[in-house]
Amino acid sequence: MPVFKAPFNGYSVKFSPFYESRLAVATAQNFGILGNGKIHVLELSPGPPGVTESVSFDTADAVYDVSWSESHDSVLVAALGDGSVKIYDTSLPPPSNPIRSFQEHAREVHSVDYNPTRRDSFLTASWDDTVKLWAMDLPASIRTFKEHAYCVYQAVWNPKHGDVFASASGDCTLRIWDVREPGSTMIIPGHDFEILSCDWNKYDDCVLATSSVDKTIKVWDVRSYRAPLAVLNGHGYAVRKVKFSPHRRSLIASCSYDMSVCLWDYMVEDALVGRYDHHTEFAVGIDMSVLVEGLMASTGWDELVYVWQQGMDPRAS
Amino acid sequence: MATHPQTHENPSISEATNEVQQGSETAKLESVFKNSEPIREDQIQNAIKFLSHPRVRGSPVIHRRSFLERKGLTKEEIDEAFRRVPDPSPSEQTAVTSQDGQQAVQGQIQAVQHAPAPVVMIPPPSLRSRFRWYHAVLAVGVLAASGAGTAVFVKRSLIPRLKSWVRKIMLEEESDPLEKADAKPSLAEEAVAAAKAASAAASDVARVSQEMMKTKSEERKNFEDLMQLLGVQVQEMKSLSNNIRYLERNSNNLPKVYSANQEVYSGLVKTPAERRPYANGSNIDYDSRSARSTSPPAPPADSSQPPHPKSYMDIMSMIQRGEKPSNIREINDMPPNPNQQLPNPRIAPKAKPWDYGQPPQDESSNGPWWQQKNPRSADFGYETTTARSIGIQNETSTTEPAAIQKQRSWVPPQPPPVVMPEAAEAIRRPKPQAKIDQEVVAAASDDQSGVSDELQKVTKFSESGGDGSGRLEITEIQEETEHQHIGQEGN
Repeated sequence: MPVFKAPFNGYSVKFSPFYESRLAVATAQNFGILGNGKIHVLELSPGPPGVTESVSFDTADAVYDVSWSESHDSVLVAALGDGSVKIYDTSLPPPSNPIRSFQEHAREVHSVDYNPTRRDSFLTASWDDTVKLWAMDLPASIRTFKEHAYCVYQAVWNPKHGDVFASASGDCTLRIWDVREPGSTMIIPGHDFEILSCDWNKYDDCVLATSSVDKTIKVWDVRSYRAPLAVLNGHGYAVRKVKFSPHRRSLIASCSYDMSVCLWDYMVEDALVGRYDHHTEFAVGIDMSVLVEGLMASTGWDELVYVWQQGMDPRAS
Repeated sequence: MATHPQTHENPSISEATNEVQQGSETAKLESVFKNSEPIREDQIQNAIKFLSHPRVRGSPVIHRRSFLERKGLTKEEIDEAFRRVPDPSPSEQTAVTSQDGQQAVQGQIQAVQHAPAPVVMIPPPSLRSRFRWYHAVLAVGVLAASGAGTAVFVKRSLIPRLKSWVRKIMLEEESDPLEKADAKPSLAEEAVAAAKAASAAASDVARVSQEMMKTKSEERKNFEDLMQLLGVQVQEMKSLSNNIRYLERNSNNLPKVYSANQEVYSGLVKTPAERRPYANGSNIDYDSRSARSTSPPAPPADSSQPPHPKSYMDIMSMIQRGEKPSNIREINDMPPNPNQQLPNPRIAPKAKPWDYGQPPQDESSNGPWWQQKNPRSADFGYETTTARSIGIQNETSTTEPAAIQKQRSWVPPQPPPVVMPEAAEAIRRPKPQAKIDQEVVAAASDDQSGVSDELQKVTKFSESGGDGSGRLEITEIQEETEHQHIGQEGN
């Protein structure tokens, strides 16, 4: 399975929704504490080395997350540590990039998510406690959602309802929002510690998963949100990211500070169905390809990006 | 409570929720992402008690709200509780800006919020605050020790002095009787002289002790000055690095004016860009914010911290010392042409696998390596020891004709032997399934002609999802029994 070695510490990895063999990686120098950043666009190739970089973009500050546009195949959106949101066109050479830069967030932008149903807007979540809604061709954000009492670590669109999204925050709550409403429509006090990530079930639009500093992943149904559907234990440290499979109803992938990537099936007794220990530092980014079933990618602070098929060993050559 | 006016909603949504309350299924979908529970009076009473507490009244509104949210109150309940408890005026909040006030507020918040989760974001700030306390404790200890030492020293020096003085007088008295007659007037003189000397000694002692006190207080002052200077230096470091960052940016970035709440909460004067941590009620002072010290979020303090890479700790300590890592370059990442047009998309957006309502059953294994589904894709590459045996089980299962593998794309781990498949199925059937079935039934029985597209989609999806999942469950159990047979035969 191919490995890509980045110059900086990995933060996020995302498969392109248009090209099966393309993915983007967000990286940051000096673990994202202080320094530059870099966005890599990688191409998978049939023969060795398996993965090559097709283009990269340098940034002044750390890149914490990246998201591909669902409307334009060559465009991606980046979330930066200096509070800016930048748009890159991979069909243009690096000197012509970025094509947009929005400076509105007062703190680091931790995540960006493009709307997969409406395809015209994206969300950014920031440590300034707000979530912002943007369209690519507008010069300013459309809306700012300010309710959380602490850093918002992730905001994710519902895969079926283009107006609904969820946000995970360090104030230990998960909030459900509808962009047509003035404020959040549900507040779920999901964990006793910070909630670092959330993701919707692609096949059940009322189910979502949250991952927290308390090392657990909880699966919730918004129709009965007082108690979780499942609590997934198994990680040794905080769970940094959680992702529902685009192909299997109850399959969840997660990555954690215990350096492992785990696969879970929350509907069975023994939920942990897979575990990969290929990273040698915190595993912080994970993605599952929408176009190729079973294809996964992960990245971590060990500056490595692995791409592999479920069932294979990521480190096998 | 059910008539709680939802004035913030636009008419169509409020109509929808009203209809839901009447049991209709129209736009039931929209209200799924909304709270439809009635307001709970007991929760409101608890909230009112909390909000009426004098200590809570001094805290920022957003912290009070956040606390109640974490206790599970809905927005409506929180709003109702706030309405019933008279809010303190904003001026009261902003007036609490003195150091003592802020510290008191911090202490109050900690006291009021149950189980103040000691979430330590990163070691250095807590180290720093601990360092502060430790320092203060040490200083007090040192001062006390020095005070005790001087007291002891004074006693020790005073007593010998007194003794020697008394002895001198005794000696003089002994020699006195010889010269008593002549010495009477001189005795009186001597007595006077002795009294003078005594008073002089007393005044000396008083002076010395006064000097001791002065030096003690001076020492204390010096120490406080030192602490202040340290704090000022840290502030300057922070502001310097922030200034550097801001100077590099576009000038139309207006620094966000933080609310008075956050300034009250912390306790130091700061630039708008600095983080005022809330951190579940534990007030960790983020002094060392020249860099992003809140990254990454750390586990709870009662469990062990994840071992950070050594170079990470090196960089953190560098930042705290005020040094900048040498590998940072000056990069201009502003758009060269802010009016650059978006490119024409070359490919039309592709449909998502979940748009079809059920998980795909595609098993293609042609094409490049990333498309080739591992025939053992059921085996996710276990690395744990317990899993190895399961992996072996799965390996033996590949001797089974590929038909079963094709039918199911993954095999769950080996469960204990199933004695009663019917019972196993009953247990395995997930609860939400029952709910979805109910909704499907309800939706089907609803005969409204004005049903929305989304509702149709939902019912279709629920039906297919329900059936699909059910199918999955049944075949799963059948497979497991077969696997056991294989396993037993194979062993």
